[in-house]
Amino acid sequence: MIPKIRSRDVRRGAFYTVVVVCVLAFVSPIFYMISMSLKSQSEAARDPLGLPSALHFENYINVIEAMNYGRAVFNSGLITVSVIVVVVLLGSLAAYPLARRTGFVSRMIIMGMALGLATPNFVTITPIYIMFRDIGLLDTYVGLIAAFSALKLPLAVFFYTGFIATIPRELEEAARLDNCGHWRTFFFVVFPLLSPVTATLALFVLVDVWNDFTYPLLLLIDPNKHTIMIAVYRFIGERQIDPTLLFPAAVLGSLPLLVLFVIFQRRIINNVTAGGVK
Amino acid sequence: MWYDKSLYLFTVPALIVLAVFFVYPISLTVALSFTDSSGFGPSGSVGFDNYESVLTSDRYLRSIWVALKFSFLIVVFQNLIGLIFAAILYRATFVRGFCRATLFAPTMMSFVIVGYIWQFIYSPFGGALNVLAATLGFDGFQQNYLGNPDTAIYAVAAAHIWMFTGYSCAIFLAGFSSISEEVTEAAILDGVSSVKRFIFIELPLLKGSISVAIILSTIGSLKTFELPLIMTGGGPDGATRPLSMEIINSLFTDYRFGMASAMAIVMLIIVLSVSYMQQRYFDHDE
Repeated sequence: MIPKIRSRDVRRGAFYTVVVVCVLAFVSPIFYMISMSLKSQSEAARDPLGLPSALHFENYINVIEAMNYGRAVFNSGLITVSVIVVVVLLGSLAAYPLARRTGFVSRMIIMGMALGLATPNFVTITPIYIMFRDIGLLDTYVGLIAAFSALKLPLAVFFYTGFIATIPRELEEAARLDNCGHWRTFFFVVFPLLSPVTATLALFVLVDVWNDFTYPLLLLIDPNKHTIMIAVYRFIGERQIDPTLLFPAAVLGSLPLLVLFVIFQRRIINNVTAGGVK
Repeated sequence: MWYDKSLYLFTVPALIVLAVFFVYPISLTVALSFTDSSGFGPSGSVGFDNYESVLTSDRYLRSIWVALKFSFLIVVFQNLIGLIFAAILYRATFVRGFCRATLFAPTMMSFVIVGYIWQFIYSPFGGALNVLAATLGFDGFQQNYLGNPDTAIYAVAAAHIWMFTGYSCAIFLAGFSSISEEVTEAAILDGVSSVKRFIFIELPLLKGSISVAIILSTIGSLKTFELPLIMTGGGPDGATRPLSMEIINSLFTDYRFGMASAMAIVMLIIVLSVSYMQQRYFDHDE
């Protein structure tokens, strides 16, 4: 019996090894990106597939300076956080009546949100550009934040409406007995209960806004306001393709989200697929 | 009832933002699409001329065809590869979590970065793919993938597929996890092979996940222009220029705002009708 069990274990082990190797091979462009980013120019040309023989961290220092990385991260961070705040506040506020009053008006608003969810952003790009230019919102943080918020609000309302509907009303009735009005009931009783959805929504918005490239490309002009993806796009696009610049810029652009992903991977994947299973 | 009508005041701020930055712009897009607006100064009405040139000129018809072909390639292969990975990972309990997360990592990256990395991988000058082909002795695979009109669209689609295969795989794995273990155990006891179990037992139970994955990848791929813009600029000779990229070009290089608006409306109609038909098909199927 003992050798039989062993051969089964060996088979299992071999199977797992093959699976892991296939998966790692599939994502090998990520390792390639990291490996190339640490090579000298001559090594990148001579031996593009091998591991770097020496770690040229100065590639990173050059790119961080040339691309104004700190500024770009600050811009992206400021815009992303602002969009999250706007979307969380306005989205949860709007969802509260929609979840509690289930009449015709609510159904119509929710249907409108669903249409908004399906509308690709380039349908609104042309007029937003003209409008922003005419009222002076072009090339401003406020304009970009407003455009992003409008794009993400339908999603927020959807998330919150679904969640609030599952919260029992008794808590709100208790608050009512304590003479709380709608506002106080919402902010002190309902809103704190929404934190799981708020976290999910914040992750969604963070990934989308951080990685987005259409809106900032069209709505920002001043290089000092460029978001990280525009900085990478301009930095690489304006130069001859040079691996010692391209790959460090690519790593620096992806790093913040990849680190976040390593920390929150379970939550992120579950949230992304939860919408899909319904 | 305590939830009186004044509660609707809570929706007002969100509705204002949506009205100003969403509904009003869409109505303006419709209005602009019937003009020859260049974004500056007065513009004249041109009736359906813009739509006519979108739907009759070879250039735009070709870009609609490129968008559809690009989307078709992505929907088929992204979901097929994702499904195969999911079926294998479902059987590899011990490494499932790790593999699922690893495959998902490219989804967290930006089109900008994925585009530049793959552009370099395809490069005929020391790009990874050509060097790999040369090292392994597959001389036929040494090509200028992005510079050849016959291969460029497949090369760009492959980068998109690489990016989102982990997303499809995660959706399918969520579907797998809802299959009851008793079904699987019974099949194993009956000596049903792994491949047969997948085809005859698991696949029918995954219908819901498959329809979701197909609809999401269709919407995601029809409207995309980022990878072609970065990797090929639409070339060679328009072989990778989808309609969405024509919209961006007419806006910011040609200043043809009227045309861009008409194309955006056509694009919107295509996206909505394709996803509506898919929805109908899958609902009917269930």
